[in-house]
Amino acid sequence: MHWINWVIVAVYLLVVIGDGLRRTRGTKTMEGYFLAGRRLPWWAVGLSVMATQLSAVTLIGTTGQGATDGLRFVQFYFGLPIAMVVLGVTLVPFLHGAKVYTAYEYLERRFDAKTRSLTSLLFLLSRGMSCGTIIAAPAVVFSAIFGWDLLWSVALMGIPTILYTVLGGVEAVAWADVKQMVVIVAALLAIVVVLIVRFPVPLDDALHLAGATGRLRVFDFSFDLSKTYTFWSGILGGTFLMLSYFGTDQSQVQRYLAARSVDEARSSLLMSAYWKIPLQALVLLVGVGVFLFYAFVPAPLLYNPTHARAVADRAPGELASLEARYGAALSARSAAASATSTAGAEQRSTALQLFARRDAAVDSVRTDALALAARVTGESSRDVNYIIPRFVLDQLPLGLAGVFLAAVLAAAMSSIAAELNSLSTATVVDFYQRWWRPAAPEAELLRAGKLATALWGVFACVVATYAATLGSLIEVVNRFGSIFYGSILGVFLLAMWRRTNAVGAFVGLIAGMVAVGAVSFGLPSISFLWYNVIGVAVVCGVGAIVSLVGGGRPAR
Amino acid sequence: MPSRFRQTLWRVMLVQVVTLLALWMLQSRYAT
Repeated sequence: MHWINWVIVAVYLLVVIGDGLRRTRGTKTMEGYFLAGRRLPWWAVGLSVMATQLSAVTLIGTTGQGATDGLRFVQFYFGLPIAMVVLGVTLVPFLHGAKVYTAYEYLERRFDAKTRSLTSLLFLLSRGMSCGTIIAAPAVVFSAIFGWDLLWSVALMGIPTILYTVLGGVEAVAWADVKQMVVIVAALLAIVVVLIVRFPVPLDDALHLAGATGRLRVFDFSFDLSKTYTFWSGILGGTFLMLSYFGTDQSQVQRYLAARSVDEARSSLLMSAYWKIPLQALVLLVGVGVFLFYAFVPAPLLYNPTHARAVADRAPGELASLEARYGAALSARSAAASATSTAGAEQRSTALQLFARRDAAVDSVRTDALALAARVTGESSRDVNYIIPRFVLDQLPLGLAGVFLAAVLAAAMSSIAAELNSLSTATVVDFYQRWWRPAAPEAELLRAGKLATALWGVFACVVATYAATLGSLIEVVNRFGSIFYGSILGVFLLAMWRRTNAVGAFVGLIAGMVAVGAVSFGLPSISFLWYNVIGVAVVCGVGAIVSLVGGGRPAR
Repeated sequence: MPSRFRQTLWRVMLVQVVTLLALWMLQSRYAT
């Protein structure tokens, strides 16, 4: 990569770390360190929530998914605006008004200490592990592209993030998120402009090509529980997933607890509701655009350069025959692509069908190449995550590759920082202060908070170094939380009904987790998006029955 | 319900409807 691109990346890193160091002023008290003194404006909280949720996987994996699979993944987010509105009316006023540090702290006030500790522990376990995968996902791609050792890539993302999160607390994290969000959106828009300028055919013709291969099919109304991305799984499953994530995951809750007032906290969530679906559609459209670009310009057979080298070294004969087939399939496809725009209105549909067949032929050679790469290297290829990085490095004009790289770092760092900060808050408030040192002075808790942030950071980096061989980047991160998210949301919903009690909540929580665990192992065909619906239903049902039968005392 | 939230709510719904409509039009025009 050209040195100017590296300079852009270096400047970005220096600005983020420097800004974090500047914001250490507010970190003299616990409320300052963990909640930015509850004085962040709604728009900063809103951008921070969005930046946290937009990880490097979104920029690398989701764009790649757009290129290979098209737009239907956007259905996953259909429930998000609904969830944000519901949370704004229900949970946010409860949590913000309770003046708590963690969402789980509220559960002790309403129920008892064991419900609080169990939910907080579940958060620490699942988020501690997933923080590792959030670093690992882009680190693996960086290492393969630049030929670095994985440890260096993990350090490039981990060390600056740990530094500004430890020193600046949530205030540094939130303001860094605001800048990071700007870099991310700028990089995405820059790619869109470059793509549109460089299409050899008019945009309308190009979109017809994408449509012919099914990539512009957004809505799938089939009601099939085994399909992950359908309209219904997005609206129902997605709503419950987002309710659980934004309502009970400390990494999100902590953002809006830092807002000035309940109204500002709600408005910050609505900002995500505004922009998430359009932004996600843009991310996927970038992927579709890259697919269209490569319909006219020869694309690499294997996008992952490390795998491409390994195959060239160890199976040169097989590679040569695949390359020959691939070359022929590519030129047939690009001829078919050009033919569609010169065809008259009557021949247009035949020409598009021919293009779709040629595209399928290209895909079939790539499938064989991926199988060969998997056999030679012994690891699953995950080639989809390399499509966009390769396009950026090979095709973008000077400087823009640096901006995109900075954007990937920004996306990774904003997600990691929020996780570290919230993991530290839950560790200190829900465990250290609650169980070991209830009378600890503020200075001690603050020191514990900084130490916990650093330790979780190191833990995440270690996990990242070993998590490299984990499966699909997107689904792993989503799946991890999904097992327990719904059950935890169920407990919060029980908390809002006055007639439930501590025994009901705890028994309900256990029942919900067992039910979701049983479904995920016993009925693997059911898509993970439905786990949260099941979890919420079981926890609320069992919790309500046990509370009513037990006849416990009503809520204070 | 406080003011800013309620004001924003309608705009949020409008943006979602417009986005979904745009995606629907994209699909019906190009997906064959």
